[in-house]
Amino acid sequence: MLVHRRTKRGKLAITLVATAALVINALPAHALNPYKAEGVTQSTITLGITSPLTGAAAPGYNKVPYAMQAYFNYINDNGGVNGRKINLIIKDDAYNPVLSKSVTNDLVLQNKVLAIVGSLGTAENEATTRFINDHGVPRLFINSGYSGFADQVKYPTTYTVLPSYVMEAKIMGQYIKDNFAGKSVAIIYQDDDFGADALKGFAVAGTKFVAKIPYASGSQADPTVVGKWIAGLAAAKPDLTIMFGVSSASAAALGGAYKAGFRTQWILGSVGGDGTTIATVAGPTAVGLLYGAIGTSFLPAPTDTTDPYVAQFQAINTKYNAGVAFDNNVLQGMNTAMLTVEALRAAGTNLTRASLLKAIAKSGSTFASAGFAPLGYSATSHVGYNGYWFGTYGPTGAIKPTGGTYTLYTTDSGSGAVSKTVSKRPAMPAKGLPNN
Amino acid sequence: MRSRRFSPLVHGALLALIGAVLLFLSGFVDELRTYQGAQVAVYVIAISSIVLLTGYSGQISLGHGAIMAIGGYAAALSFAKWNFPFEIAILFGVIVGTISGLILGVAAARLSGPYLAGTTLALAVGLPTLADQFKILGGEQGLNFDIGDPPPWIVKIEGSSFTQYKWFFWITMILALFTLWAITNLLHSSFGRNWRASRNNPVAAGLAGINVARGKVFAFTVSSSLASLAGALFGLLLGLVTPSAFPLSLSFAIVTGAVLAGVGNLAGSVLGAVVLVALPELSGSLATHLGNSQKVSANLPGLAMSLLLIIVVLFLPNGLGSAQLVKKLRSKLKTT
Repeated sequence: MLVHRRTKRGKLAITLVATAALVINALPAHALNPYKAEGVTQSTITLGITSPLTGAAAPGYNKVPYAMQAYFNYINDNGGVNGRKINLIIKDDAYNPVLSKSVTNDLVLQNKVLAIVGSLGTAENEATTRFINDHGVPRLFINSGYSGFADQVKYPTTYTVLPSYVMEAKIMGQYIKDNFAGKSVAIIYQDDDFGADALKGFAVAGTKFVAKIPYASGSQADPTVVGKWIAGLAAAKPDLTIMFGVSSASAAALGGAYKAGFRTQWILGSVGGDGTTIATVAGPTAVGLLYGAIGTSFLPAPTDTTDPYVAQFQAINTKYNAGVAFDNNVLQGMNTAMLTVEALRAAGTNLTRASLLKAIAKSGSTFASAGFAPLGYSATSHVGYNGYWFGTYGPTGAIKPTGGTYTLYTTDSGSGAVSKTVSKRPAMPAKGLPNN
Repeated sequence: MRSRRFSPLVHGALLALIGAVLLFLSGFVDELRTYQGAQVAVYVIAISSIVLLTGYSGQISLGHGAIMAIGGYAAALSFAKWNFPFEIAILFGVIVGTISGLILGVAAARLSGPYLAGTTLALAVGLPTLADQFKILGGEQGLNFDIGDPPPWIVKIEGSSFTQYKWFFWITMILALFTLWAITNLLHSSFGRNWRASRNNPVAAGLAGINVARGKVFAFTVSSSLASLAGALFGLLLGLVTPSAFPLSLSFAIVTGAVLAGVGNLAGSVLGAVVLVALPELSGSLATHLGNSQKVSANLPGLAMSLLLIIVVLFLPNGLGSAQLVKKLRSKLKTT
């Protein structure tokens, strides 16, 4: 009897589930439509960015989105893009891929942005790739030099802007060979794809290390971790030490070495070599620690007011980003924003995700920008710049090109040679307003 | 008075009905809500693990985020590196988490109160960072993986509207409901009665012939199974496991969810999970209205959660899901 009752109840449960399943099947299908015209109205274009505004990596990088916003506001005050004003929604991911995934969801599904621009971090961009691909969201001019993002099959809507870390390491290796032959070299690097890319590049360049010191992203805030770096360096006694990490890690390494009385010729990677960021992290006197260090960049020195891009961006920063010191982060933010405006203009009045991606592939290599290396965008390449120049930091933390002129080294992310070239970049458009 | 007899079958049918309704409703909501629904389902399982452990067995754990990490990493590793099918990978995550829970449970049975809380807290701080020490776990960057598209047979029935997030919602929701059903059955069995007896008076329970220590180990093991299932599903949802995916704040969040739910109230875990997912979004909207300054946006979610926790502990110690709230509202309405 009991068995019979239980069987009846079981049948009831199965019937309920089956009925519900049938009803679900009858629901109309709403196809997921990638590349649809989200984020564009008659009068606005909505864009999004994820970046660390809080946490260990925030100092310096937290200026990038606001510099972009300042440039967009400048463009909006000058008529916008084809009559549309740009609205940039800024989301904090604290340099955490989990948060990055969550806020990217919000940007795409809730804020319905046209594109993500300038999103920062290798792991952070990796974490959102599947979602970005599924929705066909253009992810433009990302703030990561991970060479893997060049894979158009895996990252069909992603465009990089920085030269890859492989390129940077190859170029740095060549520079060391040319200028410090026979000297012993050590490296401190971030232990993820960022650092792995660097090691790959140094291997191609044939650079040998007397000490390789990896660190987990974020651990630079722990003084005991920094103490271990310096102890490792002191044991290896390198003539040159390469710092391949974010600015807060550079500040920690320089400060730790100074306190421990450890002397070496520092070479800072482009990601972690911003003087004002180091001053923010380690105090204003810390910029003195940079004195004599060698640095590298693909943009002009932010203190070089003779450069037309720097001069124009400084003027915009003074008016639209009042009170924020003009440094490499601001310069990079404004340069990224300018590239974005050019891409939006190139896509024309019928602006969609698809037309935007098509426009960059077609004419991205001709966009005016502050970078000395050419932009490599085409139908077969989503890679931005491919070169660096070297300079030396002065006592105020400002970097000046070695020999007084910007000598550019270019290469690729493979086994191609490193060569010195003279840059021929497009002229800054009048008043910094793109005219493409 | 004779209490109503608990029927696993009726309970199962009820949960199946709720599941069917939720599956039906998922066809009408956008992808963001579907994703949030999946997050709620994962938190329901995680909070249930705390409710079972603390509310019924009387053990306090502040380190269940670490057990979630064990489940998450084991599932991700077996899927991404050893090519297990994802269903088996989730099962593998649960098995590894359960074994870890059994080992921890043996140690936990010797500790109680703040000592157990402190030990599990240390686990939550230390364990996820172990991933930095082993290359196979992907270091700080963790393990990225993608379980691919929903099975073709579902897409064939549902059409191309059946996105990966909707699939995740189905998986997590069905497993959350199954978890609630399984725990309810367990709590109505002799194990549940023994746990409650041991929690209320361990000496009396021992005198009555209940093996208190064994009961505690078993409760910790079952709770770890649930936490590791939540961890495996959490990793699936993110497509990623990293040490930063399982921070100390995750352990605190699920304990907070359990307190909001009412630690002795299994059904309340749904309410606790909804609060954990909804509150950051609500406070984000509020921050936008307050001018969207960087400082307000960064601090408001934490502040809102803390205030809610204080209010609940002071005025509704049995949680938001308790009958106490309904009674208070009723008496308030009567007096007005």
